[in-house]
Amino acid sequence: MTEKSNNGRQNIYKPAIMKIVDKRDEAPGVKTLRLEFLDPLDHEMFKQHYRTGMFGLYGIFGEGESTFCVASPETRKEYIECTFRQSGRVTSSLANSEIGDLVTYRGPYGNRFPIEEFYGKNLLFIAGGIALPPTRSVIWSCLDQREKFGKVTIVYGARTVADLVYKHELEEWQNRSDIDLVLTVDPGGESPDWQHHVGFVPTVLEEAAPSPHNCVAVLCGPPIMIKFTLISLQKLGFREENVYTTLENRMKCGVGKCGRCNVGSVYICKEGPVFTAAEVSKMPQSDL
Amino acid sequence: MSIQEQYRKKAAELLSSGEVKLVIGYGAGTTPDRRRPLFVRSADETSKLHLDAACEANLSGYLVSEGLLADKKKVGIFLGPEGIRSVNILASESQLDPDQIVIMGFNREAESVSALEGSNVRDFPAMLAALKEQAPGTGEQALVERIENMTPEERFTFWQAEFEKCIKCYACRQVCPMCYCRRCIVDNNQPQWVQTSSHTLGNFEWNLVRAFHLSGRCVECGGCDRACPVNIPLRLINRRMAMEVLDAYDHFSGMSPDQETVLASFKKDDPETFIL
Amino acid sequence: MIQILLRDKLDDCITRWHAAGYDVIGPQKNNNVTRFAPVEKASELDLEIILPDRTVKELFFPQTEPMFRYRIGKQTIDTEEYLPPGRKRIIFGSRPCDASAMAIDDPLFGWDYKDAYWFQRRNETVMVTIACTASDDFCMCTSLKLAPDSTLGSDIMLRPVAGGKGWHVELLSERGREAFDRIEALLDDSAAEKEPIANVPKRFDLDVCREWLADPENFESHFWKEISIRCIGCGTCTFLCPTCHCFDFQDEGDTYSGIRRKNWDSCSFALFTMHTSGHNPRSTQSSRWRQRIMHKFNYFPGKFSMNSCSGCGRCSRQCPVDMGITETLQEITKVAK
Repeated sequence: MTEKSNNGRQNIYKPAIMKIVDKRDEAPGVKTLRLEFLDPLDHEMFKQHYRTGMFGLYGIFGEGESTFCVASPETRKEYIECTFRQSGRVTSSLANSEIGDLVTYRGPYGNRFPIEEFYGKNLLFIAGGIALPPTRSVIWSCLDQREKFGKVTIVYGARTVADLVYKHELEEWQNRSDIDLVLTVDPGGESPDWQHHVGFVPTVLEEAAPSPHNCVAVLCGPPIMIKFTLISLQKLGFREENVYTTLENRMKCGVGKCGRCNVGSVYICKEGPVFTAAEVSKMPQSDL
Repeated sequence: MSIQEQYRKKAAELLSSGEVKLVIGYGAGTTPDRRRPLFVRSADETSKLHLDAACEANLSGYLVSEGLLADKKKVGIFLGPEGIRSVNILASESQLDPDQIVIMGFNREAESVSALEGSNVRDFPAMLAALKEQAPGTGEQALVERIENMTPEERFTFWQAEFEKCIKCYACRQVCPMCYCRRCIVDNNQPQWVQTSSHTLGNFEWNLVRAFHLSGRCVECGGCDRACPVNIPLRLINRRMAMEVLDAYDHFSGMSPDQETVLASFKKDDPETFIL
Repeated sequence: MIQILLRDKLDDCITRWHAAGYDVIGPQKNNNVTRFAPVEKASELDLEIILPDRTVKELFFPQTEPMFRYRIGKQTIDTEEYLPPGRKRIIFGSRPCDASAMAIDDPLFGWDYKDAYWFQRRNETVMVTIACTASDDFCMCTSLKLAPDSTLGSDIMLRPVAGGKGWHVELLSERGREAFDRIEALLDDSAAEKEPIANVPKRFDLDVCREWLADPENFESHFWKEISIRCIGCGTCTFLCPTCHCFDFQDEGDTYSGIRRKNWDSCSFALFTMHTSGHNPRSTQSSRWRQRIMHKFNYFPGKFSMNSCSGCGRCSRQCPVDMGITETLQEITKVAK
């Protein structure tokens, strides 16, 4: 037991205080907050420990804490960005907070994407709907050191055009010559001026047919999308070991004690949230 | 033939004829003085059914487990008088179709059981009318009266000491046939009506909410009381509320499947003494 | 040298411990429930029972405890921590199963991140345990490879001498040394026969069960639905379990000030794993009961090399529908063979 693994705190449940410095509407009910640490020591700890893939517990005193990924990359540690859908008590309260308001943060917790192992490889990012944020964190971690990777392909789909998140970044990626961006919306979700694909992510992915050769895939989305996209990836020749994903479960402590986030013997908070598809397929599927 | 033999035989007939898909009864427990709920699906398992004075549990709560009655098939069940009343209430609150329930009724005495004639919940009006006459029960009356005679401060101290023990395991709720809400009010957090913490205040809130929710519905089966792992005399609260309802509305819960629910129906001559 | 603590010296013991600054806590019956509470005199203790209704767990991990008080200002949030008070305590008269359970939970509460609430109390507490000379139909420590006189988790062990006159005293840990030293002068070295420990029959074959549980094939077995069909989904077994450690955080107050609490929570409750979206990975009672058994006898031992069960039997003893770990593991022993 080192002080370090307690993130410098004697009391692991005591959150850091962060200030909302920016707030963006991403899609109906989906917001992004950019947060900065008030206490430089907390910030120092975050900078020491944060690696892309890790998550945090964001909260408002009086309401509680809620778990989501750190959506900003390890290459940008001056702030934390989180993107969430307003659905429960905590996320509603976070969504109603304004720039300048204070929130609580615990973390970063969990494991990370082994980005060094991706060096020299082609990258395929696949995300659905509100699951772009965890993917985006990996995307920027790689784009911020673009020269270390081969071809970068991003396949992103949402139910409707309005549900696409990070619209400005999608535009930025669209305009870069070193990224292949494939955008799609579910049939019926297109707007009159929609210029991109219409169809479900697995179908569109199979049409785009990225080569599995020397390629690592990062796949995040709702369970049903993951299920069918994995089948498509298999068809394209991707091995489960080369497909990474993140799992989410209800959490309270984030540090392996409160007992609810495990899938089979695997604690998402301690051993995840980043897993390869091979690891996920070994878990009891009905516990997911 | 003992009533146990009689009902084993009846259960076997019901199952082998296909009249019921399941019989809910009592099986042997860990120790000789314990009986546990038993679900029997075939005639050859009916020899595992027990019926004796140790069969205390009101099994009717299982009837409203999710999906059990959805296929419209009948279910057989061992029920004492309280269980029969529960089925009446569940029917009057539209939670089940009483004609789907085949009752093997029994009366429990100190050391033995006797059969109750009938198999449909409508078959017991005389027994229920007699129960109403006796009401409210006799066993605990002394303690109810003792608490009744306390000053409000003494009574508050009494219940404070009891509720302080509560660990919010919700065994009282889970075992209660009347607590069938898919999502209990304490499990809602937007807004958080009741504190979930089991400190004395949160425990007071929970137990009072439950007492009010059971007013005019509780059949005093004692299930919550027996289930409580810290021995809070929960029956006294429900007994007191039942006395109140009987007194004010002449309402004895669970008399028939068509009985109006006392706090969810309005009559012009209802006493309105509580309106200031 | 055998040292005996005579029962009639117990009051002196308590006095000496108090004088040394210890709180002394032991099993007492109050309001129809036996639980651990501070004692002044030996006569308050209820030492003749098989074991108390409630466990020693709540002295380390209370059913509800405030963690912080928060006050929210315009530009500030002040948090005041409520860490445990830091008083030396002696828990006198817990049973070996309860004491073992505290040691079983240590690695969990220390798994990479240390839970200060747990360890502060653990570090300031001396466990004086009394070996069992009686058991009931629900005791099952021997099935867990523990025993009515297991020393796991205890700092001082007391073994009853024949005739109920007192106990053989054995110091087991450095943590217990001061408490032992304080009463050493009271101890008697006259020879006395130890009373035989309770005979707790083996109720199931743990190795067979663990092997069956570890087989992924059995995760989807119909067994789980059958064994849990009468489970009503209350939290009795988990809350009265000395090793069950699951918890919840709850904020009480408003958006200006209030208290964040750590409360017991239970894997039996449907809400425990429910996502905000409504998706629930463990949506049925059978999947929740499976989780409880798997956690105790498969996942936890896989991580911490101990079963998350010390065999106290409260889950079966107190279950409103007469279920419990014993029955489930007995049935597994049957189906696995």
